[in-house]
Amino acid sequence: MTTEGAAPERSLSGTIWSEVDRALSGITASAERAVLDVIVSIPRDEVVRGLKALKADEALAFDYLRCLTCVDNEAEGMDVVYHLYSTTKRHNVTVKVHLDANDLFVDTATTVWRAANWYEREAAEMFGVRFRGHPDPRTLLMPEDMTDTFPLRKDHPLAEIEVLQGEGIAWGVEE
Amino acid sequence: MTNALQPNSNHEFEVQDIMINMGPQHPATHGVFRMVLAVDGEIVRDLIPHIGYMHRGAEKLSETMDFRQGIGFMDRTEYLAQFNAELAYVMAVEKLMDIEVPERAQWIRMILCELNRLSSHFMFTGAFGADAGVFGTSFIYAFRWREEILDLFEEITGDRLMYAYFRPGGLAWEVTDNFVERVHQVLALSRQGIKDVDGLVTNNEIFKARTQGVGVLTKEQAIDWGTTGPVLRASGVAMDVRRDEPYLFYDQVEFDIPVGQNGDVYDRWCLRIEEMRQSVRIVEQCLTKLQPGPIQPERMPRMLRTPPGEVYIRTEAPRGEFGIYMVSKGGNRPHRLKVRSSCFANLQSLRDMSIGQYVADAVLALGSMDIVLCEVDR
Amino acid sequence: MSTLFGLPVALDALIRVLIIVGVMTVVVMGLIYIERKVLARFQQRLGPTRTGPMGLLQSVADALKLVAKEDVRPTNADPWVFELAPFLVFVPTFLGFVVVPFALAWSVRDLDLGLFYILAVSSVNIIGWVMAGWASDNRYAMLGALRAVAQSISYELPLVMALIAVAMVADSLNISEIVRGQAVVPNIVWQPLPFLMFFICMLAEMNRPPFDIPVGESEVVGGPYVEYSGIRWSMFFLAEYASMFIMALLGAAVFLGGSAWPLGEQLGLPWQILLTVVKAGAIIFVVIWTRASFPRLRIDQLMSFSWKLLLPVSFAQIMVNGLILVYDLPYGMSHTLLAVCSAAGVLFVASAINRSVTRPRPRPVLISRSEAAR
Repeated sequence: MTTEGAAPERSLSGTIWSEVDRALSGITASAERAVLDVIVSIPRDEVVRGLKALKADEALAFDYLRCLTCVDNEAEGMDVVYHLYSTTKRHNVTVKVHLDANDLFVDTATTVWRAANWYEREAAEMFGVRFRGHPDPRTLLMPEDMTDTFPLRKDHPLAEIEVLQGEGIAWGVEE
Repeated sequence: MTNALQPNSNHEFEVQDIMINMGPQHPATHGVFRMVLAVDGEIVRDLIPHIGYMHRGAEKLSETMDFRQGIGFMDRTEYLAQFNAELAYVMAVEKLMDIEVPERAQWIRMILCELNRLSSHFMFTGAFGADAGVFGTSFIYAFRWREEILDLFEEITGDRLMYAYFRPGGLAWEVTDNFVERVHQVLALSRQGIKDVDGLVTNNEIFKARTQGVGVLTKEQAIDWGTTGPVLRASGVAMDVRRDEPYLFYDQVEFDIPVGQNGDVYDRWCLRIEEMRQSVRIVEQCLTKLQPGPIQPERMPRMLRTPPGEVYIRTEAPRGEFGIYMVSKGGNRPHRLKVRSSCFANLQSLRDMSIGQYVADAVLALGSMDIVLCEVDR
Repeated sequence: MSTLFGLPVALDALIRVLIIVGVMTVVVMGLIYIERKVLARFQQRLGPTRTGPMGLLQSVADALKLVAKEDVRPTNADPWVFELAPFLVFVPTFLGFVVVPFALAWSVRDLDLGLFYILAVSSVNIIGWVMAGWASDNRYAMLGALRAVAQSISYELPLVMALIAVAMVADSLNISEIVRGQAVVPNIVWQPLPFLMFFICMLAEMNRPPFDIPVGESEVVGGPYVEYSGIRWSMFFLAEYASMFIMALLGAAVFLGGSAWPLGEQLGLPWQILLTVVKAGAIIFVVIWTRASFPRLRIDQLMSFSWKLLLPVSFAQIMVNGLILVYDLPYGMSHTLLAVCSAAGVLFVASAINRSVTRPRPRPVLISRSEAAR
């Protein structure tokens, strides 16, 4: 669904996309070829179903969640990115879910892999994405009382952090 | 995992568990890390780790630094396996820009990464011995041999800990003239060091009694929690990025990957000792294949601009898989840089490792994961 | 009871007490220095080198620093118990000094029940630890104190049994008589197993590694002593080193022949003192060596080691000793039997320790890189 406009067009033939497409039957998914991996885009409402299908499929067997993070594309919304790996078949795939800027929520993946727990906590506090059904939605790296600032968003400037942390410290703020 | 600790009070008498708070300042927690344990006598009933004390906004800062400034920052993120961290970052840029790295630079990178693995594992053996109680002796033994490796790094890069030596395309400058002899010397000393540390601790009956059967992580748990590195391999999963997705020239050297069968702390110790020996073996093979040549491609642009794209590079750092997910929208800075740190994934499994064991075992389980808090918190 | 130079009894007692205090203070400071230096050498470092020539004044400097420290007490600490705890740890150790012999005629008091006295008196420090842990109003201190008490009580019994076994062979509880009885052969030859048990239990009683879980630095930081500072803390420390000294002297006297072997009576006083010093020094050296080499035992392993292995073996040793000695066999035969049975006991203990941790378990497998066929 998201195209970064990669300059050289790479074909999807011979990659894992055909098997992924088969495993994700019933879910509208699209794919593109990135520098190393195949990026599969899944609509937000089908995320958990799709991830479970990818894990359960015998030919794919994506039993290992490598990384889960968000990318802030400013006006175009956010992407939640899952990097999956199979310890038995030794192949990997990247799954992307696009979220519009005004409704940032997605179902939690902790029901599929327990490893998603801390990654989702970090993505939630850094980007403000709500992971529905997460068993432990506390802040992980940020202080417990700073739940309304999302540092890794593009509209959150770097210098204002000092102002937020210290009362009366005025450096870094441009009037 | 729930918000609050669940004290266990289903005995006949009204018994409540004690809550023990370990950290953030504590000799056993390897950095600024806090564990809250609910303890019934000496048995751990629940454990909640609290991280974030060393969060410095590495990922946000990386978005403001261009592709050469960001290299030094990777050192500070993983300060015990710096070359591996730099390598991941630099490889990400190279893949995005489609730069070809000269052979000599790749071999030297490989040598330095494996020596870094050696020095990091020496640090582990020293610190873990201190955790187990051989306070001082194993620490000093291991650090003495680590100093030799660090001396070599200082000769090459000028710095003992924060190297910033790799550049996209190759290395920053040529290595010293006596590089090969010095590496041979360091290898001989490291062999002696491995024998020393191994002989002091591994077959000691008390050490075995303390670490066998402690902190067990089954294979399914290890994969489900996304653990990596020696923690995952000790549980029986033969996953090593150098073998499964070879980078640099790992597909041209022979080495073995130790895989444990029991998933306990003793296995993780033995695994790391064996990995040290394998690292020595790899470096020896690399030295034979090192040829003179350039260390940077001929035409490197002065300002590095990557085309739009994204890449997820994974390397095998001493602690596990260190991944860099870099998204670029053109320009000379990354749009998003996500550091997939190995210890972050491993630390999630601490609770499963420690429940039902003694407090002292929880300390050893934490030590056996060999965490670096800067990497966990970024 | 003879007094020094024929002085009245009270004055004589006072002088002896002053001797104890004076000697012990100097000895303890010297022991701290020796431990730091020897431990450092084991760890490939140097130890104190700057304070005084070769760092000899380090203990003095430490003592001065500790005296000058602020006396911090937790607000909720029980005042009386908190104050008295160091005394209850410290005084019984000094009391043990009364019966230990330095030379054949040189001990502060030559008690007929010397062995019994020293064992009785040295177990009073357990109360001191409990008081320290309880009064500190601190979870870590309480945990440490409970561990210390459990450990002490568990290792008290094999210690007593081991010394009783030797007393049976030497036919006396008077330490000077035990020493004189070793003029030809030291007791360790006849009773190696009690010596081994004495050594292990001595380490446990003093909370020394590998039995230092009550004061484990990497877990309960400092154990029962965690809330003490300055002079009070130094009294705990003093007690530990004093008891190390006393136990080493006791071990040298009871097992290694003290000042009587190899030619004590013939060669006179300086030789006897030298023998005592060398033997006690050897024991202290091995104690420090043990500290540098072994990891720490966990509390349940420690307790099961004592109750399941050491105590039954010590009972067996006593029974075997009794069986052999009751028959009035000629000296050579009875003592050879004793030596053989005891040596068998040592081998048994060693093999039991080894077998308990060397259970067969699958070793790590080495998978070659080229086995990665995709």
